[in-house]
Amino acid sequence: MNKNELIEEILQEVDKHPEIMSRRDAMKYLTMSPLAASVIAGATVGATTVSASEAKGKIVIVGGGLAGMSTAARLTNTLSNPDITVIEPNPLSTSYQPGQTLVGGGIWAKSEVVYNRDDFVPNGTTLIKGAVTAFDPDNNKVVVDGKKEISYDFLIVATGLMLNFKAIKGLTGEITSCNPDNAEAKKTVGKDGVHSIYFQDGSEATWAGIEELIAKAKKWKKGEPKLQAVFTHPNTPIKCGGAPKKIMYLTHAQLEKAGCRDAVELTFYPNGGKMFGVPEYHEAIVNQFKTRGFKWNYKHNLIAIDKEAKMATFNHHWTEKGAWDEDLEEYGVELKSKEVQVKYDFIHVTPPMKAPDVVAHSKVGSSKGWVPVKKETLQHVKYKNVFSLGDVVAVPMGKTGGSARKQYKVVVNNVISAMEGNQKAIETTNAKYAGYTVCPLITSIGTVMLAEFNWTKKPTPMVPLDPTQERWIWWLLKVYLLKPMTQMGMLSGRA
Amino acid sequence: MIKQISTLALASLAFVALTGCNEQKAPEVKTYKYTTVEVYEKSCIKCHGVHGQGNPAKHTPALNDRTAGEMAEDLFDVKNGGTNQSSGTEHDIMEHNMQKLVEKGYDYDINSMAEYLSNLSKKK
Repeated sequence: MNKNELIEEILQEVDKHPEIMSRRDAMKYLTMSPLAASVIAGATVGATTVSASEAKGKIVIVGGGLAGMSTAARLTNTLSNPDITVIEPNPLSTSYQPGQTLVGGGIWAKSEVVYNRDDFVPNGTTLIKGAVTAFDPDNNKVVVDGKKEISYDFLIVATGLMLNFKAIKGLTGEITSCNPDNAEAKKTVGKDGVHSIYFQDGSEATWAGIEELIAKAKKWKKGEPKLQAVFTHPNTPIKCGGAPKKIMYLTHAQLEKAGCRDAVELTFYPNGGKMFGVPEYHEAIVNQFKTRGFKWNYKHNLIAIDKEAKMATFNHHWTEKGAWDEDLEEYGVELKSKEVQVKYDFIHVTPPMKAPDVVAHSKVGSSKGWVPVKKETLQHVKYKNVFSLGDVVAVPMGKTGGSARKQYKVVVNNVISAMEGNQKAIETTNAKYAGYTVCPLITSIGTVMLAEFNWTKKPTPMVPLDPTQERWIWWLLKVYLLKPMTQMGMLSGRA
Repeated sequence: MIKQISTLALASLAFVALTGCNEQKAPEVKTYKYTTVEVYEKSCIKCHGVHGQGNPAKHTPALNDRTAGEMAEDLFDVKNGGTNQSSGTEHDIMEHNMQKLVEKGYDYDINSMAEYLSNLSKKK
């Protein structure tokens, strides 16, 4: 789809709803929003590559998902003599993961998010269809499938992360978002009211689960106990921190559309004590929850699911005033916790997430698993010829496609500087990763609150509009623009 | 329509150029009552020790076992109650303590403190 078609499609959509926004206003918003603008420009205008480099060296990229494959593409565009190998076992690694929310919410079909790895391998890049089973950064080597040694001059770790369903008692599987090798998880997740949009097949099953809930809700009569829809958020860093709420908003919207919202109580059970790190967004989300009649119980971490009894067990934790602390010169606090059982008819599980064991337990990993890098340069703290990006890298708030989009350009610049032996450029002059991430928080079918934030944790004023408002124009951005930006712009190394 | 579209595209490009500069914007300047070293030596040291080794008797963790980057992430969590929307942190007690310490003037720049702590580990 070219630029004009994209814009025309959006504007035609705008024309259908003159009561919401005029075509003129829509264009105004689109041009005023740098994000929208960069999306349009990036997805369609074409190459914005840096100047060609003569630097030489063998680059191995472990992981060919969005982060790894985009990096390969941009390096290919930039280097005159690229020698790039991508190691990726999953045939669907380049699938469009943000769309899984929309699949789960019944807006898109699964086929709209499935993309084949082999269609996105840049020309000249060697693809090894296998999994790295060992890292040996002291000898500049990795091992593929337990047998084949691959050496490198520069290593980029972009493995992504693992969805650790089996950490919840009663659930099974430790899988990735779009690898079809997920039978273990599907034994327990994706049926019987237990769902998760975090993996591709699971997102399709989630919509079936919501339809089941709607069918039950339609039979519900006033006076009966309400059906319980439960939404969880674990105690680990997660990819796309907004998705646990987005699927709740969409479930609400679908219930309303079906005319049976009254039959269901929707409750959010996050491990943390707030909705969002940025206070302005936190308040905006709380207000959106109130408007929709949602309930929420903070500091509840899902630990078990009894599928027979349809009962979820949470570890509820809190602090109470403790003894006088002489060093603090204040009363301290004590940690308290207890198990809480919650009955569900439908439960959306956001699983605990972790770095793959092969990374975590290797010398490129860390005690917490994630790859430790200097967060501004994405260069490994110990190995100067190792870089990392995407879901596996240890940077705060980094696990979104929006973050990867900022990271991969930084990594490409820095890898090239490293190839040129210019460590000084990496540390001083090269563009830094500033922690930007973006979270288009779907608040209903038709509106999105575009939460853009960085490490300063203030709403980054990208738009001269109040970013805490839900706006329909962001919905168009999410539904129509972010996918072409990702699949055409980013995976070709351009946007 | 064609004309409008090209205007839109041009404006878009201009905005991309502008925001390109914005991303490099210097962080907002904040002044602290004490220097990083003073904060550590007046306050943190009481519970985390001279070498940042922690104190099992007080259930305080070591601060000298992490790289500056990892430490910065933890300090960020402690001061902001987590960075991952609703994941929370494993620092509930220190989150409370930190709030009290900030009220007493023991606030600090996260990167500077993380750097200081990582050097503390080299001194041990």
